[in-house]
Amino acid sequence: MGKLTIPFAMLAVLITVSVTFAKDHPGREYMEKNGFNGAATCEECHPGVAREFLDTVHWKHASKVTNVDNIDPEQEYGMKNREYTFCNGNDIVNNLKETPRNSEGKSKFTGCNTCHPGDPGDELHGVGSTGPAAEASIDCLVCHSSDYDFRLRKPVKDDKGRVIMRQDRTVKAALAVARPSAKNCMTCHESAGGGAYVKRGFLFTRENDAHAARGMVCVDCHKTRKHKIPTGFDPNNWANDGVRLACADCHGKSPHKDTHINMHTDRIACQTCHIPRTGGAFSKDFTNWTKQRDGFYEPTTLNKEANETTPVFAWYNGAVANTPRFIGPKGSRDDKKSRIYPFKVYQAKAYYNKLDGNLLSMDFAPPIATGDTLAGVASAAKTLGIKKYEPVPGWQTIYLASSHLVTRTKALSCENCHAPNGVLNFRALGYTEIETEKLTTPSIFFEEYVKRHAEKDDW
Amino acid sequence: MTKALSAALTFTLIALAVVSFSSVAHADETKMLGVITKIDCAGKDAKTASVVLKDNKSENTVSITVNDDLTLDKFKDHRIVEGDEIRCKYETKDGKNVSTYFRKTAGC
Repeated sequence: MGKLTIPFAMLAVLITVSVTFAKDHPGREYMEKNGFNGAATCEECHPGVAREFLDTVHWKHASKVTNVDNIDPEQEYGMKNREYTFCNGNDIVNNLKETPRNSEGKSKFTGCNTCHPGDPGDELHGVGSTGPAAEASIDCLVCHSSDYDFRLRKPVKDDKGRVIMRQDRTVKAALAVARPSAKNCMTCHESAGGGAYVKRGFLFTRENDAHAARGMVCVDCHKTRKHKIPTGFDPNNWANDGVRLACADCHGKSPHKDTHINMHTDRIACQTCHIPRTGGAFSKDFTNWTKQRDGFYEPTTLNKEANETTPVFAWYNGAVANTPRFIGPKGSRDDKKSRIYPFKVYQAKAYYNKLDGNLLSMDFAPPIATGDTLAGVASAAKTLGIKKYEPVPGWQTIYLASSHLVTRTKALSCENCHAPNGVLNFRALGYTEIETEKLTTPSIFFEEYVKRHAEKDDW
Repeated sequence: MTKALSAALTFTLIALAVVSFSSVAHADETKMLGVITKIDCAGKDAKTASVVLKDNKSENTVSITVNDDLTLDKFKDHRIVEGDEIRCKYETKDGKNVSTYFRKTAGC
């Protein structure tokens, strides 16, 4: 009995310490006495962390990219500078600014940086900036506080007329500092693409995601070290911190009890069966904006709810085809590195330069105010130094990874794919007619299915 | 006698149909686009909030009860504030307009 006393006492101390730290971040007295001065205050206990953050994708919105066609592997790419249609701009041409006045005489602050001011930081020391001023401008609390007041995070003009983004630097917010919750991440990520659930189309809730149902948060999978956040290989999400994650990191390569299901994992990605739904915007027209009731315009968008649509399936080996008209997965049945993945397909109409075939970016401020999309193209061309161009409308197709909305109970089962007109189009995926015929009859799974259900006494 | 029975049966069927259809209509979802004029959300632990929306079309005000955690969070940290334009769906239950969908319309 006595032998057990010490381990139990140690466990009790450990639990007490954990609970104490979870509730109350050290430094309360310091902050109550000195106030909260942004990253400078954090640096008192976490020296070097601000400089470290400046070297991440969340700050730079760009990184070297090695898996995408037709780009320079020595340059950095990302939301900072990409020319694509989700959205039809980037941080350079759509930096935080005030729009011209609309027909009702109103203007507003707009730009990618209304969500991502240096992301986070302030607009004067924004995307990719370096040095002490940039470090001091980081908005640590927008990711780390559970009591952030978003009324304080608004774009305003300073006394020199420059547009800046304010932050919540109150002691109240600072005292609620913690490991980022799902809410911290989703505050920005749910709004990607111009509104709630527009781009990714997933709602990270207990009802919609098996990991959320277990109380997990984003950083449980996206395990962050030195502010570098691992990501998967989304064909449309190029910038990365050099660290990756995959389902198998936690679940292994044979995650099922049933060996027949495990036989699929070499060629079928986990997401294919376990993420049968997607959602959000499936098409936008950047050449023709729609007037809103407040007199401002927005790109005409066809939108579905989170979890409302079905994905398409394609072979993917992690390499990305990138042309002005198509951004999507590379791979094939013959390529043993390829697996079948689900994707959300998105198509958008935007202006192309007839002279070279490249997509033209758009500064959103002019069309937001007047609906004049060509004025937006002209403004972006001026910013980017493009002197000769002839804008013509055209379509771009983008495949976005479908990696959230994970379900266990509603995962695809044998009969969903192995049937005529099933979920997977085997012919389109490169299977012969004879193979397809074999793959789409119950004979391929019938006996095992009966056996499995008999073992489970499943009626 | 048969006529009387038939009439009674017909009346009963009609009455049942009326009651059934009115309960279906009662549970129907109403859509509206409007601007928030007032938010009542009692502190960080609130499990419900009351919001007044001014309908863009009719300019009538409608009181909406919001119970879902994601939207309540947005009231609590002021990501959704008075003046925001909202796309809302609600169902009328026990005399209350209970939100089933509550999203800001604004994009970038």
